[in-house]
Amino acid sequence: MSELTHASAPKRFIGGQLLGSSQLVLCIILAVLCIAISIAAPQFYSEANIIAILRQCALVLIVASGMTMLIITAEVDLSVGASLAFVGCIGMAVLNSTHSLALGMLTALAFAGGVGLFNGLVVTRLRVNSLIATIGTMMMLQGGVYLFTREAVQNHNQLASFTDLGAGYVGPVPVPVILAALIFVVAYVTLRFTTLGRYLYAVGANEKAVRLSGVRSERLKLFAFVVTGLCVGVAGMILSSLMNAGQPTAGRGFELTVIAAVILGGTSLLGGRGSLFGTLLGVLVLKVIDNGIIILGWNQDLQMVVPGVVIILATYLDIIRNRANVR
Amino acid sequence: MRRSDKTMSLANTASVKTEPSVLARLFARQELALLVCLLLVLVFFSVTVENFFSVRNMTNVLGQASLALTAGIGCAIVFISGEVDISIGSLLATIALPLIIIMNDTNSLLLGVSAALLFGLIIGVVNGYLTAYAGINSLIVTLGTMFIMRGGVYLYTGQRAIPDNASLDSFIALSDGRLFNIIPYSAVIAIVLLVAFGYMMQHRPFGRQIYAVGGNQEVARLAGYDVRRVKFICFIISSLLATVAGIILAARVGSAQHTAGLNFEFQVVAATVLGGVSLAGGIGSLTGMALGVLILQFLSNGLRGLGLPTEWQLVITGMIIIAAVAFDEAKRRRANGG
Repeated sequence: MSELTHASAPKRFIGGQLLGSSQLVLCIILAVLCIAISIAAPQFYSEANIIAILRQCALVLIVASGMTMLIITAEVDLSVGASLAFVGCIGMAVLNSTHSLALGMLTALAFAGGVGLFNGLVVTRLRVNSLIATIGTMMMLQGGVYLFTREAVQNHNQLASFTDLGAGYVGPVPVPVILAALIFVVAYVTLRFTTLGRYLYAVGANEKAVRLSGVRSERLKLFAFVVTGLCVGVAGMILSSLMNAGQPTAGRGFELTVIAAVILGGTSLLGGRGSLFGTLLGVLVLKVIDNGIIILGWNQDLQMVVPGVVIILATYLDIIRNRANVR
Repeated sequence: MRRSDKTMSLANTASVKTEPSVLARLFARQELALLVCLLLVLVFFSVTVENFFSVRNMTNVLGQASLALTAGIGCAIVFISGEVDISIGSLLATIALPLIIIMNDTNSLLLGVSAALLFGLIIGVVNGYLTAYAGINSLIVTLGTMFIMRGGVYLYTGQRAIPDNASLDSFIALSDGRLFNIIPYSAVIAIVLLVAFGYMMQHRPFGRQIYAVGGNQEVARLAGYDVRRVKFICFIISSLLATVAGIILAARVGSAQHTAGLNFEFQVVAATVLGGVSLAGGIGSLTGMALGVLILQFLSNGLRGLGLPTEWQLVITGMIIIAAVAFDEAKRRRANGG
């Protein structure tokens, strides 16, 4: 008994509220990475480069915010990559025909939210395992986007407000970064400080207990799926603005990058455990690695190898730390 | 003696409904339902598509299915042990490199295949060690090795295919050759492996250990099974079988393609789950997995025969996977009394 209190007391003292179990490891990894890269290539710390890194983080962070909620409820969505491409094409097509950013955004959000709703209904009503259900949706969307358009939907509207969505700045900060920060903060507050957020954790940790205490666990999961979908909607529009076209081939492997970032951030695939702050760190680590590889002039194919090593290594370090804590 | 045994067991199932027998009957029904599905697909396309129900087309589909069948055995075994392996798609591309390069250098199929299997073994050992002994979630491990291998192949090849310059007859026969001029060799390999591993899973102690470990890890440990070792070996089996699939694929395309096996893991996982192998572990059979693979393969072949573009095949396959698993889940819940 005394051992137990001993083990948990210092953890609360050092870690506090902000730095949970795996965040500390990630902070160290991030710091080491930044120092190592800036020693090898001083231009890493230029303002332009830092803004470039943030901009690259934005897309992943937006979707990862929703995905973190979803994984905390012990579900997962593999269809976000395919949905991202589809949303970009549909949004661009609507923009071209209506010349209205609002309508384009609405369509994109409605479509992506609809995909999330579909996934959620299949998982909660039909009780299909979310890994399988969303592989199914992924296939349907991959096929569907080619039925919708065989080639990229070009930007024929040249709306300034649409171009700003991806390439614009407010002061020195790019618009996508601001959008990502907004979505992140809303998601963070929801998860951390609201009853809804606490229920999301509870559903992931023990769904039965939540149901027995009178909360509709299905609704909560459905909510997380729809939020993930809406995040994809925003990200899809930003991406098509950045590329100045809706690309049906965009988003290949995007789902894996997002999930990798969330897992790297210490969110458990079993549900009930994890934090958005960890996800932020996960996204930063992955993107700093990407950026470092480019700045150092290394072969860009390393951008696949290094994250793979980092995901495994970070998870392993976390496990070792937990074991040490238990002792 | 034997008869009395049989009557004993019959009496057992009749009077006391022991859990295994109920489960066993559930499996039987599951595979029956899959078989009915497969027959429906076959009948539907035989009526609607000309030349669908020809020996040539049937054996062609079998040859195409051999990749997913072979890798699916490993996928199903890992699922049954309670883990997942999504690195098999990248593995297909990775092991093609030593295979083709060594064959080009030495003109020996045996050396090439040995090198490929050695690579597959190493990958299986890495996946298995990190999951079973280091205790990292298998989805994370194999997601990581999937990235590492695909990136490694891109790095090594500079994103260009390495052609097979040796053109060994025995290697080409893997894709073109047919046993008795009927069944493709690749299908023969898949069927032999399926029978062998099916026998292992149902009738050998190790097969039972895998089911036990996947069904309830704690109980399996208390029963004296070495849970870590069982899982470790399951990952090695999975990687080696995916290696065999990779060799067949390399023979079919006549080169080591850096993009080989992209999304292959999703196809195999989908077929395996369609075949009733549960992601939760401990439930399912290789027969079910094989039926799942065949249903999807005949479906896509038939849809192509109807003149539908590949996009529609993807859409319909996706819908069918969701519908099938949903139907299966509803049935299971009803069987368990809600």
